[in-house]
Amino acid sequence: MGSRNTLSHLAKPIVSGAGLALLSGCNRHQSALAPFGEDAAAIEHLTIVMVVGAVVIAIALALLMRWAVKSPEGSLTLISGERLIVILGAILPAVLLLGLLVYSLPQMRPHPVEAADLKIDVTGEQFWWRVRYAPPGGEPVISANAIRIPVGRTVLFRLTASDVVHSFWIPGLAGKMDMIPGRVNELPVKATKPGVYRGQCTEFCGLSHAWMAFEVVAMEPAAFDRWLAAERRPAKPIDGRGRALFASYGCGGCHAIGGTDQSGTVGPDLTHIAARRSIGAGALPVTQDALVRFIRASSEVKPGSRMPAFPQMSEGDARDIARYLGELR
Amino acid sequence: MIRKLHSHIGSLQATLWTLIVAPTTWAVHFLFSYLWAAVYCAKTGQFAEEPLVYWVGTGLALLVIAISGYIAVIQSRVPGDPAPHEHSTESDRLRFIAYSTMLLAGLSFIGVIFTAAPVLILEDCR
Amino acid sequence: MSLHDQDDLALRHAQEERLRAAWEPPRGLFLRWTDTNNNRVGVWYTLTAFGFMLFAGVLALIMRTQLAVPDNDLVSPATFNQLFTLHGSAMMFLFAVPMFEAVSIILLPQLLGARDLPFPRLSAFGYWSFLLGGVFVLGSIFFNVAPDGGWFMYPPFTTRTDLSGLGADIWMLGLSFIEVSSVAAAVELIVGILKFRPPGMRLNLMPLYAWYILVVAVMILFAFPPLIAGDLLFEMERLLGWPFFDASKGGDPLLWQHLFWIFGHPEVYIIFLPSIALFAMLVPTFSQRHLLGYPYIVLAAVGTAFLSFGLWVHHMFATGLPKISLAFFSAASQAVVIPTGVQIFALIATIAAGRVIFSTPMLYATGSLAIFVIGGLTGVMVAIVPFDWQAHDTYFVVAHLHYVLIGGTLLPLIAGLYYYWPLITGKKLSDKLGRTAFWIMFAGANLTFFPMHFSGLLGMPRRVVTYSAELGIGWLNMLSTAGSYVFAAGMLVVVVDLCLSPRRAKAARNPWNAGTLEWLALPEDENWGIRSVPLIETRYPIWDQPDFMRKVDEGRFFLPDAEEGRRETISTTVLDARPLAVVRLGGPSWLPMMTAFALGGVFIFTTYHLYWAALASGFLTLAVTLRWLWTTAEIPEKPLKPIGHGLELPLYISGPQAPGWWAMFITMIADATAFSGLVFGYYFFWTIHPEFPPPWADGPGLGWPMIALAITLAGWVATIMARTMNKRDAALPTRLLLGAAGLLSVLAIPAGLAGPWLSGLDPTAHSYPAIVWTLAIWTVAHSGVGAIAQFYALARSLAGRMTAQYDADIRNVTLYHHFMVFTAIVTWCTLGLFPEVA
Repeated sequence: MGSRNTLSHLAKPIVSGAGLALLSGCNRHQSALAPFGEDAAAIEHLTIVMVVGAVVIAIALALLMRWAVKSPEGSLTLISGERLIVILGAILPAVLLLGLLVYSLPQMRPHPVEAADLKIDVTGEQFWWRVRYAPPGGEPVISANAIRIPVGRTVLFRLTASDVVHSFWIPGLAGKMDMIPGRVNELPVKATKPGVYRGQCTEFCGLSHAWMAFEVVAMEPAAFDRWLAAERRPAKPIDGRGRALFASYGCGGCHAIGGTDQSGTVGPDLTHIAARRSIGAGALPVTQDALVRFIRASSEVKPGSRMPAFPQMSEGDARDIARYLGELR
Repeated sequence: MIRKLHSHIGSLQATLWTLIVAPTTWAVHFLFSYLWAAVYCAKTGQFAEEPLVYWVGTGLALLVIAISGYIAVIQSRVPGDPAPHEHSTESDRLRFIAYSTMLLAGLSFIGVIFTAAPVLILEDCR
Repeated sequence: MSLHDQDDLALRHAQEERLRAAWEPPRGLFLRWTDTNNNRVGVWYTLTAFGFMLFAGVLALIMRTQLAVPDNDLVSPATFNQLFTLHGSAMMFLFAVPMFEAVSIILLPQLLGARDLPFPRLSAFGYWSFLLGGVFVLGSIFFNVAPDGGWFMYPPFTTRTDLSGLGADIWMLGLSFIEVSSVAAAVELIVGILKFRPPGMRLNLMPLYAWYILVVAVMILFAFPPLIAGDLLFEMERLLGWPFFDASKGGDPLLWQHLFWIFGHPEVYIIFLPSIALFAMLVPTFSQRHLLGYPYIVLAAVGTAFLSFGLWVHHMFATGLPKISLAFFSAASQAVVIPTGVQIFALIATIAAGRVIFSTPMLYATGSLAIFVIGGLTGVMVAIVPFDWQAHDTYFVVAHLHYVLIGGTLLPLIAGLYYYWPLITGKKLSDKLGRTAFWIMFAGANLTFFPMHFSGLLGMPRRVVTYSAELGIGWLNMLSTAGSYVFAAGMLVVVVDLCLSPRRAKAARNPWNAGTLEWLALPEDENWGIRSVPLIETRYPIWDQPDFMRKVDEGRFFLPDAEEGRRETISTTVLDARPLAVVRLGGPSWLPMMTAFALGGVFIFTTYHLYWAALASGFLTLAVTLRWLWTTAEIPEKPLKPIGHGLELPLYISGPQAPGWWAMFITMIADATAFSGLVFGYYFFWTIHPEFPPPWADGPGLGWPMIALAITLAGWVATIMARTMNKRDAALPTRLLLGAAGLLSVLAIPAGLAGPWLSGLDPTAHSYPAIVWTLAIWTVAHSGVGAIAQFYALARSLAGRMTAQYDADIRNVTLYHHFMVFTAIVTWCTLGLFPEVA
């Protein structure tokens, strides 16, 4: 890894020129400037209003400062100077800010949540996400490190943490909410645009804080319902060497795979791991090589990870397990 | 009678303690607002059960600040040489503290209004 | 002595000789470090803080290098976490706050026409504590054990000993030690401003710098103690397993966040206001007119101080608190902009009304205002709750805070450096290098931090060791990294300019043609500070009082002599600066340094769990402190002393007129604030638990707390009676009462601990017993100190150092016990009565 990307990244702005259009073009899947949810869109609007206001005020102040420096001695008397201080320094900001406050306060009201809305419990762990879908009237579905939500329906996230404080942030969907041990914070959201997005932990939580991300897939409601029904069922059972090795290395002590007797709950559920876009909560892509690397020495990829290294595991064993995992769609 | 009151006010002592009456009132009101909402939300799940209490408290705070400002205005008009009050005289010192007290009362008044604004707009604890 | 006596040249020379002898600094390789003169200590302090700043800056450069490209692995996560933790902590605790205290230690006596600060030895103590604590904390990075939990140290990450190591203890204990010295400096500065102004300098004539420092020092009294209380709970959890922040045992991580940010937000204004104070001094000088809107600046300073205590939750907008709570803090965060606006417009109005000289300091001042305004505008944005939900803990906030701190602290300090360098060294710095450095730093700061607004909104969280290339923000980060090196180059130019200074020639006296008192300083500085203490009639005496400089220099004002060879200065009244007394100041001594090192030992040994050594260090601290105190409040050889112009002032004052009484009062305010932080903890736990105290826990009962309270009250009454008896010159009853009061205070200790002890409350089991024990221990520890104070007064009486007329000791001890009683009432009623009503 490293500096080989330097030039291409430097060249980018030179080639395409600067500007907000370019900025929002940087990435569209983890950006507050590329909303796919109602809240993020409202905040983006608020942002634009405030940025315009800030620019106007900054320019006005700069002009005033220039005038003050250039103006000859005695341009202001004591009386006119004090008037300037009161009107521009106190009254104007008081009026503007009270306006801004009253404009922004109603936007703090959360979406109303109905009993029939989908609830998703997400628990922050060092350094991954435990996910539990609680659809109204249905059995909960366990997953990890990826979240799917239906477009156009209110979804309530119920957020907590098991070990240290984390923070749950999907910039395109809504603002962030902290995950605090001992507390459950609620974050109702509503997605508006289908697509594949990304979220990330934003409260410093330890060595692998930088590698604690997740994918977010916003789907059409019907497709979501189908997906959730499929997610409830285990992946198609495979009887291979990898599956046996998974059991014999004791992986099931921590990980669960639906439809098998591997039912650990310490680490992420792997029932549909191959359907995700990344492993290790955003650390590596789902490829055979990456799986092998992660299985044998996860703490090299994710320092501070609680998954033990398996230095004694042969390359071949690791490949077999990786192949098995790669079939869990 | 008003004149008598004014001359009485003019003879009151203005000190560093009277200077901070208005902002202290803001601080007490702010703390009261925060604790009122925090305790009600934590214990009952809603805070706006008795908004009357809140508005009476807010009115009281504004009244105290207004009185502090009123006294200060009268004191700042004690006769003496013109502004800026920068001579080493008793009356300049009094008028300086009074003028600053008056300004602080103005700021605190606005501050209390800012603090109370959310109670008009938000109704529940969520 | 009359005005005309000073016409005698021989007399003036003799006076100067005596003054010089009295203020002679200690010399020699080792002895020179025992100096306590504010000029010397202030300069050490400033240079040390500047050095720490450069060190913390280098840490930032390493971080920026790591972040230059995505998915970089130049620095390991373990190192990176230490880098950003130490960068933030050092810039806040080892640079910004101490720097303002250091500068004030140099400037304040000069500004106030005093010969030194009221407690020179306390300044020296503060400096040595700062140096020791700073080296201890920063040095840890060379052993790879530096703190790595972020400068905010959020539990449970930092309190769980399996997740964070020695670094957390080093942060907590090393910086607590420095916080203690910051509070000590605040006490010194407040007393200096209120009690050591020159005759005639009424409140309306005080230099604005002094107003600001007064306000800021008072803020420290209310801001730092909650953090000290938090530190105490934090270390109790780490070292003893008392679960204040452990949710599985009834604790709550949010309690720490509250206590930390009650400190943390006022802190921002504590380091910003002194910069405006510097502007308020240099803008009038370079506009060659009085500052326009003096009362507005005072309004703004006082108003900001108050409002800044209503902002702390805006660091916690994403913690899931009720929206209405967030809204209150959002509103206050908006309101605080008003006084800030007033200050900026007062400066602009002064510039417009005056004849502007666009000097190097002025260039820095206007440039930093420009940067600060951008930071202020983004500050308004993050004060709006929904926007903050996006921006919080992203690089947008990194951009915002650096704009505020560079525009509001760092560049103003360099403005101050260029402005005040001639005052301290007698030499000007280079305009050419200064301006070059300015433009390099101005460009560098914007290049570094402006792109961060975008990288934040484009999804880059704070405190990440690297970021994914797929975020597409590599080029923004590359710009930031380039900018940081540009900025560092500018800082290097400043350092070069400073290094060239010793080779330059002396400048003229008062080279900027300023109007305020501090510019009386001669290029060849005399240690006595000021030749004679002037009578002040205007805000800008050098401009407006005829022949002012000459009269000061010729000793035509007050106290032009040191007949008894003692270091002396004049103490005056708070409102009108009427002369009250001549105060004798402490001279060079080993005691401050020894006290600092002994106290440092307590903190450092505790870090390494060497509890016996820590205990020994604690006793040593107590012994040295008592030895130090013994030298204070000495009975003078004569009751009155002439200071010129037919005025005679007492050499001894006590009670509310005396600096010592004020120091005790102010210290106890800080102490009471820390205590209220702990009490807040108790009631905070009540709000988060449906039932508190938990039904299974037997409280400490009603009996023992009430007995402890009764004993404390009895001791308090006995102390007051002793004071009355002392006033009546009844030595025997005074001594008997003091002895009895001391014994009662000792008795209050077992009585206070009996409640939780006999009811078997296990502090490691749950937050309830833990907070009960903490409050009980805090209170009985204060009873213990109270007993020492009472026995100390008894010893002073027996030694003949405290009499009916010279009664400072017993009055200060009584004052302590007023606060003691307040603490006892709150604690014992909370512990004993609250479980009955809850």
